Amino acid sequence: MRTDYIIVSEYCEKCHIDPAFIDLLDEGGLIDLMEIDHESYLPIAQLKDVEQYTRMYYDLSINMEGIDAIHHLLKRIEALQEEIFDLKARLRLYE
Amino acid sequence: MAYIDYYNILGVNKDASQDDIKKAYKKLARKYHPDLNPNDPDAQRRFQEINEANEVLSDPEKRKKYDEYGENWKHADEFEAQRQQYAHQQDGGFHTSFWSSTGGEGGDAGEFSDFFESLFGSRRGKGSRTYGYRGQDYTAELHLTLQEAAETHKQILTVNGKNLRITVPAGVANGQTIKLAGQGGAGMNGGPAGDLYITFVIADDARFHRQGDDLYETVPIDLYTAVLGGEQIVETLGGKVKLKVQPGTQNGAKVRLKGKGFPVYKQEGTFGDLIVTYSVTIPTNLTDEQQRLFRQIQSLS
Repeated sequence: MRTDYIIVSEYCEKCHIDPAFIDLLDEGGLIDLMEIDHESYLPIAQLKDVEQYTRMYYDLSINMEGIDAIHHLLKRIEALQEEIFDLKARLRLYE
Repeated sequence: MAYIDYYNILGVNKDASQDDIKKAYKKLARKYHPDLNPNDPDAQRRFQEINEANEVLSDPEKRKKYDEYGENWKHADEFEAQRQQYAHQQDGGFHTSFWSSTGGEGGDAGEFSDFFESLFGSRRGKGSRTYGYRGQDYTAELHLTLQEAAETHKQILTVNGKNLRITVPAGVANGQTIKLAGQGGAGMNGGPAGDLYITFVIADDARFHRQGDDLYETVPIDLYTAVLGGEQIVETLGGKVKLKVQPGTQNGAKVRLKGKGFPVYKQEGTFGDLIVTYSVTIPTNLTDEQQRLFRQIQSLS
């Protein structure tokens, strides 16, 4: 039994999430589902992202296009935060 | 304990409708939600306030109680006395000198304020909709000295009552985070456990400044060694070394000692460089004789 994937239908049932939402994430390229014998599987490594997208969609009423845009902006914010951290460390050399 | 103006937090009037409150909450939640504000403790705090305000004002029963209590909130002392013992019981859990847990990210409403508790008795309300499956991620900090970060070593850490033995590889960087998969909170409904994220915090060192794998050190040398050349003992991470100082060394001159810097992360036997900056010390309080000799040199130059 593989433990690094979860069955999407079971996950949706347990967490009261519309399976169509997970399909939308997959179609939008935000997650990569694997399909075997008409059953969709989600890599566990992507579960954290799915939960984040779920909160954005259901709690914050952000649509799929918005989630996609936010996803890209968050990546940029994280890269910039790292750059600022490195630059601050460099600045201390001259203080 | 201070009175909390929930209407002010949500930016609505006291006669706001449930629809107004919902709209205001959603708008502010989109601004301050931790999912949209990574690594921002201020946003996290604001989100908790907004969430608490919504918890009270979106529930007609709680809102009514809050409105009544709000007018006479100074009587809160009576409530507080009753609740203090409870508060002490709540203050437990996850504290050592090195570790702090901020719980998970991702919109967890977290605990509510003392003010909320004094009114409604429980620190946790219904909160926003949860999708309980994967366990909560934990974040923690591990504080190291520069010397500790330079050596591969083991640490046993207690996280939520569980002992974890981790190996800290030589060369970890300040701010670097490692993930211990499955070491976070337990999953729900058969879901997987969350992860534990450990961020290394490396304190500034009095002798060395680290930049990546290179170390920087300022070494004072006297004027005579700088002018005439000579030898100078220099401290490195691995011990003292003797350096040859070239005649005519300028103040601020740099020397690079290959391989005397910081160990490179997960590349055993590889080290960065140590960059030594000479700081020439100019003699002060000269005797008459010394001044005369300096003038003599001056006249010869």
